[in-house]
Amino acid sequence: MMQPGEANKFSMRSKTAVGGQVLGHGKSRASSAPRTRDVASDRVGYLMVLPYILHLAVFLGYPLAFAFVLVFHRWNIYTPMKWVGLGNIKLLLTDPLIWRALVNTLYFLLIHIPLQLVIALGLAQLLNQKIRGRAFFRASYFMPVVVSGVVVTILWQQLYATETGLINLLLQRFGLPGIGWLTDRRYAMPAIAIMATWKNVGLYVVLFLVGLQAIPAELYEAAELDGASAWQKFRLITVPMINPTIMLVLVLSTIGGFSLFIEPYVMTGGGPANSTLSGILYLYKQAFFFSKMGYATTIGFFWAMIIFMVVLVQRRFVETEAV
Amino acid sequence: MNANILPRIAIVLLLALIVCCRSAHVAQIVRPAGHITLTYWSATNAQELEFANRVAAEWNAQHSEVQIKVEPVPSGQSSEEVILAAIAGQTTPDIYSNVNPAAMQDLLDADGVVQLDAYPDFFDALHGRMPPDLLNQYRSSDKHFYQVPWKSNPVMVLYNTGMLRKAGVSTLPATYSEFLAAAARVTRDRDDNGRTDQWMATIDYFPIWYKRLYDYLPLYLAATNGQSLLQGRRVMFDNESSLAVFRFLHECFARGYVPRQTFQGDVFLDGRVAAKFTGPYSISQLKRYAAADFEYDYGPIPRPDDATGQMVSFADSKSIVIFKSCQAPREAWEFIKFAISKRNDLRLLELTSQVPIRAGLLEDAEFADYFKRNPKMNKFAEQVTTARSIDSVAELKEIFDAIAQEMEASVVFDLKSPEQAVHDAARRSQQILDAE
Repeated sequence: MMQPGEANKFSMRSKTAVGGQVLGHGKSRASSAPRTRDVASDRVGYLMVLPYILHLAVFLGYPLAFAFVLVFHRWNIYTPMKWVGLGNIKLLLTDPLIWRALVNTLYFLLIHIPLQLVIALGLAQLLNQKIRGRAFFRASYFMPVVVSGVVVTILWQQLYATETGLINLLLQRFGLPGIGWLTDRRYAMPAIAIMATWKNVGLYVVLFLVGLQAIPAELYEAAELDGASAWQKFRLITVPMINPTIMLVLVLSTIGGFSLFIEPYVMTGGGPANSTLSGILYLYKQAFFFSKMGYATTIGFFWAMIIFMVVLVQRRFVETEAV
Repeated sequence: MNANILPRIAIVLLLALIVCCRSAHVAQIVRPAGHITLTYWSATNAQELEFANRVAAEWNAQHSEVQIKVEPVPSGQSSEEVILAAIAGQTTPDIYSNVNPAAMQDLLDADGVVQLDAYPDFFDALHGRMPPDLLNQYRSSDKHFYQVPWKSNPVMVLYNTGMLRKAGVSTLPATYSEFLAAAARVTRDRDDNGRTDQWMATIDYFPIWYKRLYDYLPLYLAATNGQSLLQGRRVMFDNESSLAVFRFLHECFARGYVPRQTFQGDVFLDGRVAAKFTGPYSISQLKRYAAADFEYDYGPIPRPDDATGQMVSFADSKSIVIFKSCQAPREAWEFIKFAISKRNDLRLLELTSQVPIRAGLLEDAEFADYFKRNPKMNKFAEQVTTARSIDSVAELKEIFDAIAQEMEASVVFDLKSPEQAVHDAARRSQQILDAE
């Protein structure tokens, strides 16, 4: 964490630099040599960023602009585009499956985000203690993050298997009936949310660990002197101090949740009866099964708009909390 | 350097990029005079690649002026998708040998393939191979031919006959009742832990359109003696036969003869499942991977108990096309005629266990030795002229998606009645056709 003295030094350096630049453009420094040097420096700067600008234009700007054009066209890649005006948008607004996908995604987020926050924070709190094998556990929890999503999904698919899965075998050992984890509409999305939490929790544990380690130890010492209990220290010191991390995890989990694709694609194909159909899976089907590129990009823009709005709300919430 | 230099640099870089791309493209299509190299995309499986390589090697040895370069079709979700992307990207090969006839309408819409009946010897070459009635199934909507019907893989039911015998089933099921009765004997809990671990069959029930080509479609064709799903742009499958298929599959799932789960690995090969819907190509896989004492045989597609007449299945045929990007289509046509010669049809059988679309295979002396050595292939050869190809409309994928969605809801998860599901699938399909 930055000490007060360091912050001041940084501020002074910044002010000097800014001040120098202001002076350089003032009337008292109107001689041509520095001016030419500045312009030359600008050109070099622009040249230096040119590769990035080109990359941005080719791989982001152009596809984005092209996708926007597609929103108003019907196009199957191999025949000429056909102008349909607002046809794709009208179709989107009346398509029950896109709304079904939205409800499914919100249901997923409702389970996944609280689970993610609680487990990641709990594990981070444990791994922040001086326990034996701490490095091993930290690496273990992070391991699923680096393993391919498809591999993890296939493994969980076998764990969840109704007839032969290990989870149902364990339930049976305890005298409980087996559950159709991926074949029952009531359990399919929660099962996917649990799996996604297991896959991603390691990343958020690391983020929380960084946040926890940045909390000054003096705050806890002072609280202990005042007789605060462990729960009070957690609630009144830890949670407020890592509030920005909590919000970061919230935002990242939300974006990740709206991008849900591999899990339903591999585990359920969107079923049973569309109960795990996600927006991105639906977009994928429209684009690559049915070659409806115009409608797929319309779904893409709609989805991006929803993510943008949700994150905007969350950011405002972060700012409010941070004040 | 002045301030306008940046846009100029950007333009120069872009032009350089365009020139490089164009040069690469031009380099690909310009060939030295008197020497032509044609690119031939084959299916990616090892057996078919070997076939393509051998045919090309033989051709190349005899035709120094026209050389064939074999490449596997690039990988993708499906070969149809790869081909359409290649048309859009202008990276098509000269010849491609694995076109699904259902995708021909897409290729025609994209103006991507050469009209083959413009060659004066087209009908001579094809009529020597198949009767006109069969050839006509591959005629496009503009009444011309753009594909050479090459091979057929009629879908049948592959059984682990060892499992059936142990379960007390001595004859391969031919009707729904026989299939369900056999399934009741085969499906069981082998290790007595209270959970079923041996099933009659496995069906990939995910609601994905092309999966229905290997269960619903062959069952429907078998139940109707080969009626097509569409007549022109009218949906024809809202009928008793479709309903019978849905009810039969529903029984299979409801009684637990088919598990509501997917497996990793081949559960047929490891003896956990006794039957699967597949074509003759599975024989070469079984020869390679199955244990020496693994017993198997192909049976007919089950039909309603009162069905009469010859069983008709889904042909799952593949055709050969020449793309319009080909600079030497006449030479490509000559190579195709060479590739579908009787000698190479025999080679196709030997190397790939896939059946050439050639009438009279079982009567032809040149093939007699092969069918004597491979008696299981006789059942497929018998069906070459009767198995049906698929309806060719641009909306086919969406129609099968509608069927897949309804089949999942009704057959697998029992969320609606088979009657309602069949009706809803037909209604949705007609809406899709009417909307275009």
